[in-house]
Amino acid sequence: MKTAATTFLGLYLLVIVTGTAWADAEAGKELFETNDCHLCHQTQGPATEKTIDDQLAKQGPELWYAGSKFQRPWLEAWLQDPQPIRPMKFNSVMEPNPGGHLALSAGQAGPVTDYLMNLTSGVVEAGAVKVKKKNLKGRLIFIKKMPCSGCHQFPTKKKFSGGMSGPSLVGAGGRLNPDWVLAYLRQPKVFKPVKMMPVFVGVLSDKDMKNVAAHVATFK
Amino acid sequence: MSRFFLLGLLVLAMGPLLTEVAQAGEGEKLYRFYCAQCHGTEGKGDGPNVTGDFPVDPRDFTQTAEMNKLSDSDIRNVIIDGGPIADKSPMMPPWGKTLNDDEIEALVQYLRQLCDCTGKSG
Repeated sequence: MKTAATTFLGLYLLVIVTGTAWADAEAGKELFETNDCHLCHQTQGPATEKTIDDQLAKQGPELWYAGSKFQRPWLEAWLQDPQPIRPMKFNSVMEPNPGGHLALSAGQAGPVTDYLMNLTSGVVEAGAVKVKKKNLKGRLIFIKKMPCSGCHQFPTKKKFSGGMSGPSLVGAGGRLNPDWVLAYLRQPKVFKPVKMMPVFVGVLSDKDMKNVAAHVATFK
Repeated sequence: MSRFFLLGLLVLAMGPLLTEVAQAGEGEKLYRFYCAQCHGTEGKGDGPNVTGDFPVDPRDFTQTAEMNKLSDSDIRNVIIDGGPIADKSPMMPPWGKTLNDDEIEALVQYLRQLCDCTGKSG
């Protein structure tokens, strides 16, 4: 009898929690659209770009796999205080990023985060990257063996270093899901069929990709 | 009849030239998308990635004398395998898994346009 009551209570709570999360995500979707976010950010996958022109026609980063890419606390905070991540304007190597992304109120950021975190990709293998305090092999690849640092800013003792054309990786440890970083290296065309970053499949081994993803996860 | 014949001959004769022009146009688009981030939109080696932290000077493709020392094959190999294949910096990435043969050829043709040179044979 006691077991039955506990099971019933458990199921009841599960229904309440799931129902609330679903309702928040639905409210988030509505807010996403009423704030016109969908005009710049694609939320329907899979990616369909085939040419450079297709990529250049996009107004902002696609978000159809946002729930696989981002860490929830970071996303909710960023939506309320959206500082530029890319030094250059999206899709440009000429114009600096002017900033000015729409900021949401705390009351709006929560449901929109719920909505975006529900948008996931099936190719991201959960727990594939083991994150430790340091990953020296990944660091060596990132800084010396491969040109990652040529395009991406990363934190250093002095502040940060690196190139400007790619998204900054300063703070990536709190922003990106390391398993998504690995998936992006393993199957880049699933996420961005046409992009300015080289394909490293067949250049880096799977082990090296894991090391790079683990190193990026240490960036504060 | 003979007018059509002459026109046909003209089109055939211009075929390779038209292909080259089309390739250079495609090459410019490819260049601006993939290469300009380091080599600059005009090929002078001054793209936005070349900050004070950048460890090397990306090649200036407008330096005719330097570019003339390279064959098309030398350029092609560096595009495919990256800087280290020519004892240059790994900051030049390997694009061989990103670009197909036609795109690489179009880029080689566009670089020749930027340097206004043909390079050594081979």
